[in-house]
Amino acid sequence: MDYQYDSSRLELTYISITAIMNKLFQGIIMSKLGIVSYGSYVPKFRISIEEIAKVWDEDPNEIISQLQVFSKSVPGPDEDVATMSVEAARNTISRWKGNPQDIGAIYVGSESHPYAVKPTATIVAAAIDAEKELTAADLEFACKAGTAGMQMCFGLVKSEMIKFGLAIGSDDSQAKPRDPLEYTTGAGSAAFLIGKERVVAELEGTYSITTDTPDFWRREGAVFPSHGNRFTGQPAYFQHIVDASKGLMEELGTKPSDYKYVTFHQPNTKFPLTVAKMLGFTTDQIDISLICKNIGNTYSASSMLGLAHILNNSNPGDKIFMTSYGSGAGSDAFSFSITDEIEALKLYPLTVEHYVNNKEEINYGKYSRYKGILR
Amino acid sequence: MEPPKIWRERREKYLALGILCHECKKKSFPITQYCPYCSSENIVELKLAQTGKILHFTRVSQTAEEMMFYAPYIIGLVELDDGIKVTGQITDNKLEKLSEGTKVRMVFRVLSKNGEEGLIGYGFKFVPI
Repeated sequence: MDYQYDSSRLELTYISITAIMNKLFQGIIMSKLGIVSYGSYVPKFRISIEEIAKVWDEDPNEIISQLQVFSKSVPGPDEDVATMSVEAARNTISRWKGNPQDIGAIYVGSESHPYAVKPTATIVAAAIDAEKELTAADLEFACKAGTAGMQMCFGLVKSEMIKFGLAIGSDDSQAKPRDPLEYTTGAGSAAFLIGKERVVAELEGTYSITTDTPDFWRREGAVFPSHGNRFTGQPAYFQHIVDASKGLMEELGTKPSDYKYVTFHQPNTKFPLTVAKMLGFTTDQIDISLICKNIGNTYSASSMLGLAHILNNSNPGDKIFMTSYGSGAGSDAFSFSITDEIEALKLYPLTVEHYVNNKEEINYGKYSRYKGILR
Repeated sequence: MEPPKIWRERREKYLALGILCHECKKKSFPITQYCPYCSSENIVELKLAQTGKILHFTRVSQTAEEMMFYAPYIIGLVELDDGIKVTGQITDNKLEKLSEGTKVRMVFRVLSKNGEEGLIGYGFKFVPI
């Protein structure tokens, strides 16, 4: 039989190859899951370590050299976790310029929610005009409830149950007067919008460690938390962060030198610097994230504020590593890759840097009133 | 504040929403069922501008029980960038640092607390830019 040119069959073959290619290409584009926008908030008021040390007749230089923290943020009398969460959420939405009605989930992680029963997430939803077709909940896992919310949003977006999810870490952290914690308990919030469209930081992987470790707790009805002093270090903070970070890098086949910047939970400056060294990260990689020097330990917002600050100073192609820590205890590790979309979002004016620099020093008397210690 | 009042006013207080009248084209605040200028019911919700300037301001020392924790506080008449005038607290600041014409931005803050166990009222206030 003579060879006959069958144009219709060729055309069909061409169409099906194109369809497969398109699907593959689309698959690659669609699989880009990550952070779409970010926002932060830190209250204006600061109290210095020196001012607190003066009240308790302690040597401020010794405390500063131990913690490497100089001051901490204090919310005004009309601020709480709900107001700080709303400010971070609004900054996230304004930076994104999208429609809040497209947000399908809001999770607020905190250990100082204003209500024991009545979710902060509902107040946030109303205040950013995301009501009412969405799911929402408040989360608690000491200082890592915010990153747990990020993981929940990644899961929901990846499974296509929602289009966008908003995860917030926010705390107005409390400490008993004269407790060593009093020198560092700050306040702030950070929010991340998770989605698949116009992703600025692609999620490469996330990995968690959870154990029953009683290093820090607050019983129901108690005003101030309690802690296990030195027990909060090695078996708690360091072990969990090291295990989670190593676990994720092993899973992804990456090493510390692959990353441009890294952020860890910041109960003070010394702990994240030490854990960075233990893992093989350099001071140059972590230094940028250490905002706790000026605003203290912002609990659920701590590692997330570090990440928001890093995103605003990163460039396309950079790899970013984050590991949170929550007492009780657990750690969530994340690996991100920055995309070209980051450039437009860096122009938004209300950055972590803006809030860190917008400050007013107050004395211990005013601090006591603002924190509700004086009633 | 009672639960129904907080619930009813939340969009107006949280989001700073007013109305735009399709008949006389005027904007007004707060949300009403009809236009306060021409009584038309042909109105839509309008999101107010988030920035403006202080026209007048004063200090409030004596106030309702549920707001005494925050007293003394500053209250101001603010002209928003869209021309609407609203009253609101000027927070995070001292009276002597403000002046007529100071540029302000809307923020979300606690307005009132009904004792130790009651509801918390939230809404907009202003901070100098």
